Amino acid sequence: MRRNKLSNAIILVVLAVLFILAPLLYPNQSVPFQMMAFMTLAQGVNLLYGFTGYLPFGYVGFFGSGAYGVSILVLLLHWSVIPAVIGGGLFAVVVALLLSPLLRLSGAYFSIGSLAASEIVYYVVSNPNMQNITQGPYGVNLAGIYDPNTSYYAMLVILLIFTAVVMYVKNSTFGMSLLAIKEDPVSAAMAGINVVRRRVAIWLASAFAAGLVGAVYGWYVSVFYPSSVFDLTISIFAIVFTLFGGGGTVLGPIVGTIVLYGLYNTIGVSSPQYFQLIYGLLIVVLVMFLPQGLTSLLKRRGINVP
Amino acid sequence: MSTFLFAVVSGILFGVFFSLMAIGLNFAFGVMKIVNLAHGDFVMLGAFGAYYALSTFGINPFATMIMEIVVFLVVGVGLYYGIIPRLLRSDDPEMLSLILFFGISQVIEALATLAFGTNPVTLPTNALGQLSFQLFGQAFESSWVISFLVSVVAIGLLYVYLYKTKMGIATRAIMANRDEAAASGIDVNRISAIAFGIALVLAAIAGTLTPFMLGGIYPSVGVNLTITSFSIIVIGSLGNPIGTVVGGLVYGLSLLLMQTYLSSWANMVPYVLLILILLIKPSGLLGKGARNA
Amino acid sequence: MQSRFRKGTLWAAAALSGGMLLAGCGTTTSAPASGPAKTKSPTAEISIGTLYASTGSFATSSMPEYQGLQFWINQVNASGGTYVKAAGKKEKIRLVSYNDQSSAQTATSLYNQLITVNHVNMLVADFGSVLTSVAVPIAQEHKQLLFDQSGTGTTFFTPNNPYIVLTSLPTSALWPTSLANYLISQHYKNVAIVYCENDFDQSQDQTLTRLLAKAGITPTYNNAVPTSTSSYTVILHNMAATHPQAVIELGYPNNDISFMQALQASGSTFPTTFTIFPGQLPSLFEKNFGMKGLNNMFTYPAPPLFTVQGVNYGMPIAQFAQAFKKQTGSSPNFLNVAGYNTGLILQKTLATATSLSQKSLRQAVTGFSGSITTLDGKFQINNQGAQIGETLPVGQFTVSNGKLKVNFMS
Repeated sequence: MRRNKLSNAIILVVLAVLFILAPLLYPNQSVPFQMMAFMTLAQGVNLLYGFTGYLPFGYVGFFGSGAYGVSILVLLLHWSVIPAVIGGGLFAVVVALLLSPLLRLSGAYFSIGSLAASEIVYYVVSNPNMQNITQGPYGVNLAGIYDPNTSYYAMLVILLIFTAVVMYVKNSTFGMSLLAIKEDPVSAAMAGINVVRRRVAIWLASAFAAGLVGAVYGWYVSVFYPSSVFDLTISIFAIVFTLFGGGGTVLGPIVGTIVLYGLYNTIGVSSPQYFQLIYGLLIVVLVMFLPQGLTSLLKRRGINVP
Repeated sequence: MSTFLFAVVSGILFGVFFSLMAIGLNFAFGVMKIVNLAHGDFVMLGAFGAYYALSTFGINPFATMIMEIVVFLVVGVGLYYGIIPRLLRSDDPEMLSLILFFGISQVIEALATLAFGTNPVTLPTNALGQLSFQLFGQAFESSWVISFLVSVVAIGLLYVYLYKTKMGIATRAIMANRDEAAASGIDVNRISAIAFGIALVLAAIAGTLTPFMLGGIYPSVGVNLTITSFSIIVIGSLGNPIGTVVGGLVYGLSLLLMQTYLSSWANMVPYVLLILILLIKPSGLLGKGARNA
Repeated sequence: MQSRFRKGTLWAAAALSGGMLLAGCGTTTSAPASGPAKTKSPTAEISIGTLYASTGSFATSSMPEYQGLQFWINQVNASGGTYVKAAGKKEKIRLVSYNDQSSAQTATSLYNQLITVNHVNMLVADFGSVLTSVAVPIAQEHKQLLFDQSGTGTTFFTPNNPYIVLTSLPTSALWPTSLANYLISQHYKNVAIVYCENDFDQSQDQTLTRLLAKAGITPTYNNAVPTSTSSYTVILHNMAATHPQAVIELGYPNNDISFMQALQASGSTFPTTFTIFPGQLPSLFEKNFGMKGLNNMFTYPAPPLFTVQGVNYGMPIAQFAQAFKKQTGSSPNFLNVAGYNTGLILQKTLATATSLSQKSLRQAVTGFSGSITTLDGKFQINNQGAQIGETLPVGQFTVSNGKLKVNFMS
């Protein structure tokens, strides 16, 4: 247990140092910012997928709810930024609570069900009838609270918190019980584990992560449209990064995001005309030759992956 | 009243066409438990095939359809042997297939953009032939009626294959239980490869009809078609190809009725239906028993 | 166990820093490939940074606009550069461009890349309000003037932000004035409108219905559809059921194409049928529907469908069309014109700005606002940077002697 604590502390410190130094070393702050955002989203997917096996294709629904939560709290209710960001995260939790019956589904049914749910949230937010609340299709302008530097560090705080949450879950009895449920829900229930309550708890925690990331993202960019914060590629990126690194570990989503999002930016700047082609081929090759994720390379050698 | 009846009949025509579009995705899932996220991109390729054949060489869409059946069958079988056995050996092939085919979808869209450009292309709707169809004193679009008929025939042939041929029966055995089928001496790989080829053939047939049903065709249209197909097969029942017809009808009718009465909410309806049906009957309308984990 | 644990943690730290290096280095080392700005050296070129979308939902419009800008750069460089007042001589133009693939997320970091890493002298936005929107706060934050080609979101232009200039067409809310005037002049009672749920189309619907209401006209059908709508058959049938004298569809090019396909298939005709994009992309629509399909359609005609009179800056339309065809092999559409027009505005800015600081670029633009007319129309901006000089007429396509012509209604 102490070893785990030490290695976890090292990971958190390395993350903090890297992302504090990154904008000083490389002037384009958006790259490390978005990397942190995707890393936190990947950890959120990891919480759910890594410990329960539910793969949320509609994860972006929580992200968008968080972004629109901030816009409603700031523009309509005139909250100040930090409470509005936390409130935005809670918006996503409320949406997740409403959608918790989705957990009755499994496998691809759950994935597609959650995708449909996020599309519903998107169509509600962007509907012209919602113009008084969300501005409908006109998009949101939060110029009054725009502050890229403060929101950068807010994202770092959220990243560290949810990395720590994954560490906690991985090493706690709560996490063990989740893995027991994932392995065999019937036996787990017979052993006295409250299957439904635990699944809902991790589902809400995962939604809170995405909601906070969406909220800070909305704050960071300050202008957005429904189609940009409910963009399905956000879900797909978070999932691909998690699976590529390896779910159920602390390190998998971190490494997955750094490598794949790093490559994404490199290709995007160096050979923009073949962006999509190279990235697509890369994903195909990685899945074919590393189907269990990068961390499996270490596990196979008997190395303990935090 | 006339707008209601028009929406209902159009909804049936439209819905059955979408059943055809979605059924290949469901068939591949039923046999291999993989989710082909590039399905809509294969539909898009089929559509561009019909477009170039007609606009450049003047080839009738039906002739193109026959050529595409051969081409996509070969591509499907090749793609199966290239990637799927390897994929099925991993821990969680169902989830990994999502990522793998997302990558393939990106590659297809990128190549299609290089080849076809980004401008939407259309075909004149009368290129499919003229067929006047009147019901309740209203005339329905000829291309819709023809696409409906083609869809019915294609889905019917899939039914015949599955229930009346030796290979189809073997396919259904694999759908029921892959390991048991292998144990009873079925060549699982060969049958699955053909099933994957058939799935792409069905996508291609729907693709040749798409320019007549959905306005402009452009390389990035595939993603939307995949998502719509997904909703349809889950409404019907994942893994049960015939359930897809029910899903398609529910989709077509609800979409076009909403367009008539509450148009700004129309595109949300399939998703609301999907959630409702999943929550009431998690296995889809025609599913057998719930798939509870 | 001890050594294994150490190995794991060490590996973790190495992977983290290595990965970051990879991410960072990749971008730094590859930047010279597309060329960093060397603005301070005396043999400098002028660097212009922009984004384009080669795939995704905005590709249809983004690529032609980008080609128009590229055309201008090739023209300028072929003639030895453009006059830069701040340097007192002609300088060549270097384009730094990235592909945002229609994603606002990707566009955010790429705009940032252009400003903070490439240090471009002039920043040009991608097509459309969604892809322009993310650039507005970044440009303001870094005090970099944003040349907005077509992002006409009304929230972009605020009194306290001098770092944005709209180079073409006014904000979309102003477009329907000519259309409303035409409908009112025809004394139409039954007008049916379908519009897409996005800021571009909905703002037009709101303006149009407001102007019609002033004249006592309430549309018999006025409904929104999602922008992803691809089947208009039933909607058109429902519109026809209200026996309209005018049927108006406000959408993006893909919507207009789907709508016109449904119209053609249904065989219905109305006294006035209006869609937005045939006037801007006539060759695309002609390729899809033929002259016959466009005959009698109403639209907002834009150059090259009409010739702006009194052009005093850059090539007039006929000359442009010829040169563009020679360079690219295809006839220009309006978006090509708009991209070229952006280039002309950049050219005039460079020719009049006393220094290359963003403030003096902006002052230069204000200085020549109202005094130049390009093939795209009169360039005039208000004090917030929004375009007010160009207007859009309403016109009707007709076919005479096998040629497509436009009759202007206003």
